[in-house]
Amino acid sequence: MSQFVFATARYASGDWESAPSLPEAVIDAVARYTTIDVAPVGVYVDISTHEIFNYPFIWLTGHLPLRFTDAERRNVKQYVERGGLLMIDDHNHDITGVFHKTANEEIERMFGKMTRLPKDHEIYKCFFVFDDGPPNTHHELNGYGDDLLHKYLDAVIVNGRVGLIYSSKDYSSEWNFHADTKKFMQQDPTKFGVNLIVYALTR
Amino acid sequence: MRSRADTLRATLEWLLRAGVIALLAWFLVYTLRTQREGVVEDAASPTLDRQLARWSTSSSPSRVQVRLDHPPAGRDRDWLGALTGAGTAVAWSGPKLVPTAIAIEPRADPQRGVDVSVAAPESATVVLADTLGVLDSARATRDGVRGYIPKPRATVDAIVGPVAARAARHDSLELRRLFVVGEAGWEGKFTIAALEERGWKVDAHLAVSPKGDTHQGKLAELDTAHYSAVLALDSTAARYAGRIASFVREGGGLVLWSPAARVRALAAIAPGGAGTVVEDEGDTPPDSAPRSALEITPITSLAPDAVVLERRGDAVTLAARRVGPGRVIETGYTDSWRWRMAGGPDALERHRAWISGLVSLVAFAPHHPLAAVPSDAAPLASLIDRLGAPSTTVTRASLDPAVVARWVFGILCAALLVEWASRRLRGVK
Repeated sequence: MSQFVFATARYASGDWESAPSLPEAVIDAVARYTTIDVAPVGVYVDISTHEIFNYPFIWLTGHLPLRFTDAERRNVKQYVERGGLLMIDDHNHDITGVFHKTANEEIERMFGKMTRLPKDHEIYKCFFVFDDGPPNTHHELNGYGDDLLHKYLDAVIVNGRVGLIYSSKDYSSEWNFHADTKKFMQQDPTKFGVNLIVYALTR
Repeated sequence: MRSRADTLRATLEWLLRAGVIALLAWFLVYTLRTQREGVVEDAASPTLDRQLARWSTSSSPSRVQVRLDHPPAGRDRDWLGALTGAGTAVAWSGPKLVPTAIAIEPRADPQRGVDVSVAAPESATVVLADTLGVLDSARATRDGVRGYIPKPRATVDAIVGPVAARAARHDSLELRRLFVVGEAGWEGKFTIAALEERGWKVDAHLAVSPKGDTHQGKLAELDTAHYSAVLALDSTAARYAGRIASFVREGGGLVLWSPAARVRALAAIAPGGAGTVVEDEGDTPPDSAPRSALEITPITSLAPDAVVLERRGDAVTLAARRVGPGRVIETGYTDSWRWRMAGGPDALERHRAWISGLVSLVAFAPHHPLAAVPSDAAPLASLIDRLGAPSTTVTRASLDPAVVARWVFGILCAALLVEWASRRLRGVK
């Protein structure tokens, strides 16, 4: 049986490698709290290649405009329709920023309008329980970016399952740290990352 | 002295008298032979209905011959059988009639489909149809034609040339829920997804950590009143092993991924054990043989009563076994999800059908009879059963005695009238 490998999307436009420590922090959390067989290091996956179909969970982030090539668009659409879960996080945490605008255009072009995930969605309680929906990030609370607290995540639903999640919360900044730093933190901020992985592996 | 004309007329009169006597003699012989041998009549497919009515009312032939272009309808076949019972010898021939038979069996699948088996001569073209029209066609192999029809109507026809065999659904299956148990992972996720997309209701227990697991649905008592089958992905099933074994022994189905066969209580009911993993080489599962590119944990140490269903080289990849009234199927494909994600254009649908097919093979599904619908599953065999084998010799049909009598009487009258008139015109009494 395959182990879980944290995959980060490499795409033609933008800065896909903008959160290099995030995989390590999330992998640490998955290994720390669960018995999921997780690979100790993540991989970068070129989403224009067939390789993405070997990783049913992929993290995609960036600050710059997100413009998919035809091959990327074709693969992402097929990936989501076949049951993969693509997590797209706006590293700018700015709904007026270029990443947000272009990413939303791309998603809408492929799947139509996204649905808002309600705060009682399974993703918020499949392992850790987040009663108030997606946990806030320090970047939101400190007023960076658009200076808004984003209360919901948006999603593309396929056959009753979440196939794509779009976040304006900037978890890419929040979780982009060395895993050892957690010992100095009162709360582990990557716990919601565990929920994302558990949801991807079980639903 | 008689003129030449009188001589000719006298000769004609003599011939007419001789003809009348000869005709009477022939009619006497004909009547005697008809009484001894009986009347032979025939019919063809287009006239069979009319002839049957006649043979049963105005005419009572001792022997009938029927030339068939297509098998007669059940009513006509029974009527011919009744004629045989009433003493009329019935012979039939139909060189174009091809032996064809169809059987359908409901599959334990939420699509409520049926497995179709058609027997037909090798390389014959078999057309499958229902009351709404043609469904599909195929060329028969040595084993005939086998297929699956989702959402069939009450009857399914197999048409080969002029022969149409019809099978009717006699019962439906009652399906229960499925229970999936295993570690949180891609195989479990995509197995559940495939089953739910196919229409199954699935409860699941996926192990995530010692402190908290993920549950889907509300796990009911593990018995055949609640579940049709259990799917055990790995050693997490050890928590339910005793209950799963009891479930199977009372008639439930079990789909076992080979790593789960390492659990001692499940090993006792498994078709085989689990060998060493043969990793995939990262190739894209090809459309022609998608499972050939998947990682396997071969099934080893087969139980004596296990049946091998699929192999890859020497490695057993699918095996099944009966355990009392229950059935167990074991799969060595431990990463079948790669087929769905990375396979060709049809991979999603084919993977879904394959996983559901494994469940269908073992699922507990009580039968419920349906209202009877007329069928004719093997028309040619039924015909032979009622009337015997086709006739190879053809006896010429005899003339209808009543018609013959009318014609003979008419000809006699005409001949005698002509002879009498001729004599009177000549002045002879």
